[in-house]
Amino acid sequence: MMDYESQLRLQACLDGELAAQEAAQFEERLANDPEAQALLGELRMTRTVLAGFEAGVKLPESPEFFWSKIRREIEREPRSVGDPRRGSLFAAWRRWLVPAGAMAAGMAAVLLIGRSEQGPETQTSLTDSGAFTYHDFAARTTLVWLSYPAEEELGGGEEADTLD
Amino acid sequence: MSGKEYGPENDPALVRAAQRGDMVAFEELVGRHRDKIYGRALSMVRNEEEAVDLSQEAWVKGWQRLPQFLGESSFGTWMTRIVINLCLDHLRKQKRQRMESIEAINEESGGVERQMPVVTVNPTAGLERSELRQRINQALGQLSYEHRTVLVLHEFEQMEYKEIARTMGCSIGTVMSRLFYARRKMAALLAGLKKEGLR
Repeated sequence: MMDYESQLRLQACLDGELAAQEAAQFEERLANDPEAQALLGELRMTRTVLAGFEAGVKLPESPEFFWSKIRREIEREPRSVGDPRRGSLFAAWRRWLVPAGAMAAGMAAVLLIGRSEQGPETQTSLTDSGAFTYHDFAARTTLVWLSYPAEEELGGGEEADTLD
Repeated sequence: MSGKEYGPENDPALVRAAQRGDMVAFEELVGRHRDKIYGRALSMVRNEEEAVDLSQEAWVKGWQRLPQFLGESSFGTWMTRIVINLCLDHLRKQKRQRMESIEAINEESGGVERQMPVVTVNPTAGLERSELRQRINQALGQLSYEHRTVLVLHEFEQMEYKEIARTMGCSIGTVMSRLFYARRKMAALLAGLKKEGLR
């Protein structure tokens, strides 16, 4: 009996998710394995059955009524119309400015602390361009400065949530 | 400018006009894509009323965010992603409000799909289109929303494993096992529905 990992690889092969060499090796093995062939047939059948399932689905409301509801909502909350690239340019600017600002602030903090012999024991780290950490062990304080990609750049915006 | 002045393939021109605030152009875009957006919502939430509301919400969000649309994908794809995210959010809220489905429990208890006998004959062969749609719809309804969503994103949206994992916030391994389970369960359900139909 095929193990689970092989079953998943079989599926990946069907979906074109295996590298060419691996797919070729798998197909060779498939030729001598009736159980794998049967499973592949079933997976293919499910895919074929589902193809075109959504075709022909129609919105069960008149186009005029549907649009009137959208229009009402749009007019209730008008958006500011401007250069479509403005949001992206702002996001790009912010992406560079925030880490650069964090680095500058961090270096200033390190310099200030370095000058003071009686100053608190501190630790700073800059593991990537998007996060800066400052620890002040004496004051039991940790500051973390994070910069995320601007949400304007995400197609889904705030609803680009995850499931789990 | 009337939407009818644009050619049938000229979404980008309509998008540019709508980005400048032309609501007639946006209405034309809604007209062109509303059925697909609604269809995707319906496949995911499986309730007509909710699907209409979610697709309407997607269009409103689409309008609000249109200035940020850079045309890296087609407008239709961009709108579909918006409705998918709204549906995922909606389903997640619903899940919080009710108990885990039997399917999800089965998945966690481990490997039911491994024991399912392989369906060797197409159980939908010879069915009328409407009957086929009804059976698929019935079978989809018996999957947990996680399994259904993976199936919808892969089969209808043609997303790769990696993209599904990113959209759903899970690992590629989880996508693979959910997709495998969903397909095998669909085959078993369709075969079962065929037997019921014969009685």
